[in-house]
Amino acid sequence: MIEFEAAYYDGRTSARKPVRVRGYTLAIQIAGEGLRLDVPLAKVRVDPPVGGTRRALHLPDGAQLQTDDHAAVEALFPRAHLLEGWVHRLERHWLYALAAIALVAAFTWWSVVDGLPLAAKIAAGFVPVTWEAKLGEQTLDFFEGRLCRPSALDAARQQALQRRFAKLTAGLADGYAYRLLPRNCRGVGANAFALPGGAVVMTDALVKLARNDDQISAVLAHEIGHVRHRHGLRMSLQAAGLAALAAALLGDATSITSLATTLPTALLQRGYSRELETEADDYAFQRLREVGLSPKAFAEIMLLLEKDHKKRSGGESRDYFSTHPATAKRIERALTAP
Amino acid sequence: MAQPSTDGGAAANAAGPEKRYAVEFSASAGEYFRIWIVNLALTIATLGIYSAWAKVRKRRYFYGHTRIDGESFEYRANPIAILKGRLIAVAAIVVFYGVGYFAPLYQLLLWIPLLIGGPWLLVRSLAFNAYNTAYRNVRFRFEGTYGACLKIVLVYGWLVFTGILYPYLKHRLIRFVAENHRYGTTRFEVADFKKPFIGAYANAFGLGFVLAAVVFGAGVVMGQGKAPYLFFGTIVLFYGGLFLLFAYIRARTANAIWSAVRIGPLRFESSLRARDLVWLYFSNLLAIAFTLGLATPWAAVRAMRYRASKTAAIASGPLDGFAEGQAQQVSVTGEEVAELFDIDIAL
Repeated sequence: MIEFEAAYYDGRTSARKPVRVRGYTLAIQIAGEGLRLDVPLAKVRVDPPVGGTRRALHLPDGAQLQTDDHAAVEALFPRAHLLEGWVHRLERHWLYALAAIALVAAFTWWSVVDGLPLAAKIAAGFVPVTWEAKLGEQTLDFFEGRLCRPSALDAARQQALQRRFAKLTAGLADGYAYRLLPRNCRGVGANAFALPGGAVVMTDALVKLARNDDQISAVLAHEIGHVRHRHGLRMSLQAAGLAALAAALLGDATSITSLATTLPTALLQRGYSRELETEADDYAFQRLREVGLSPKAFAEIMLLLEKDHKKRSGGESRDYFSTHPATAKRIERALTAP
Repeated sequence: MAQPSTDGGAAANAAGPEKRYAVEFSASAGEYFRIWIVNLALTIATLGIYSAWAKVRKRRYFYGHTRIDGESFEYRANPIAILKGRLIAVAAIVVFYGVGYFAPLYQLLLWIPLLIGGPWLLVRSLAFNAYNTAYRNVRFRFEGTYGACLKIVLVYGWLVFTGILYPYLKHRLIRFVAENHRYGTTRFEVADFKKPFIGAYANAFGLGFVLAAVVFGAGVVMGQGKAPYLFFGTIVLFYGGLFLLFAYIRARTANAIWSAVRIGPLRFESSLRARDLVWLYFSNLLAIAFTLGLATPWAAVRAMRYRASKTAAIASGPLDGFAEGQAQQVSVTGEEVAELFDIDIAL
């Protein structure tokens, strides 16, 4: 027999009655001032244990017993709540908590490095090109006028660059509306970026930095690679996934609304991941060959950009190099491209 | 607000001297951390399915450690019901934001059902949470109707766009939420709290104006190319000021609301202070950032402990005379969707 102290509530009012409960094999007997009650164990529903909180035993007709005698409740209902009873035991030991930290950390790491990029790639496959173009327009609106003004290059020079771009995009027939937007951007330095949907922005500083126009073509081919492989969309989806993941892990699923603000700016805030750069590089090498140019031009412009970046480092310019780190490996790949 | 109410509920005047009950919060950060991390790990291991159980366990831990007169609160929601609600909520959010990202124009159309559905979500969510909260084996209830809530949104909703009149809308909504709650069969009576509530916002607007003027002034000085160090000072001032305004509004409005609520023989005292909240939120933010999120449970326990320590219930009669009401059927969908859309009117 198990005996314990409890508080009894009859389910009709908030009145508390101190009682003594005796537990037998098939029933419990509740005794208090002016109260004597026998309840079959099968009719008692017990709440799963959580931390050291008081245990509640729900009786028929809405009555309830509350007790702090955890041992007695466990002894009376050893087989109630197998799942949550197991969870409760895990929650009580620091060792399991440490294991849980390791699992959460491993999962988070994997998600950021592999899981989210993969999920974003799959999800991007379901997004129509027209929607992708809308996303690009939003991003373009964000810095048109704010950061960048129309190019200061003379009209003939601009036309020559447009012809080069047209040659690179001719016959691609992939549904994207490719267009080159030469811009004069403050504090950005020599840079070019592709927006989802086909807009490629190129700064005047980049045009001035290049020794010849083949080098410009090389950068543009790389940016076209970003568009074709939907890198902007994929990075955006990845950022949204990351924010959702953070909200799910840290908050109780609130603050997902703040996602709304992260997406258009995500494109600006960081460059593409190394995998995506390699993908765009490979496309650029292949495309340059197709239009009769050498991938060596790509290696040349990367070296120029690196030198330019080092010269100006210390300033806070967001040049091409800061968003497209030119590792020696990338240059070597360009030089040895088939 | 501390003076005795003159409405004279029968139960309130029946008994003699008032008795003061501190609100106790006895959770330990270490214990809650273990519950939090184990449940998080299980949620991951089950691809999110377990999250419904995790939510219930975490809430039950907090409620169970919140006590008035030595009696704890109970959270009674059924995890399976919550799981169903979550599935519906996730589907809704994916559609809403998916359309929003890629076709913002169509999202405008989605605002119409949200405007009409918002009050429904709010009412259902409040009803679910109230019905699943019990104290001394008597449930809370929320009996506000969708119609009444929609009316407030339609009549006063436009105030959102005026900015300066928004506090009046907020006050109406909170009033609606508070006075439609019941503890068992006992109504929440809500005295007029318009003046201190709107006063808090008015002061905050005033302070915000001064802050904006100072930041603008600093901007002009910087524009002349002098004193670049002002840049950082201005940023600190701006965000610090926003933090302070936020904390001030939180503290003052919570105090105003709770001081106005009366449940039978019970009234409440809330004495949150803006400067305490500034420090609390700021230190919590730093701790969470520097521990990569691991301090989240500690921060939650700490915030609740502060809140409890500044709240008291004052009874002019015994607490055992509240009657339980009828059982009812309360669905969970509203609660889960409302949670994901951040629709929340906290008391």
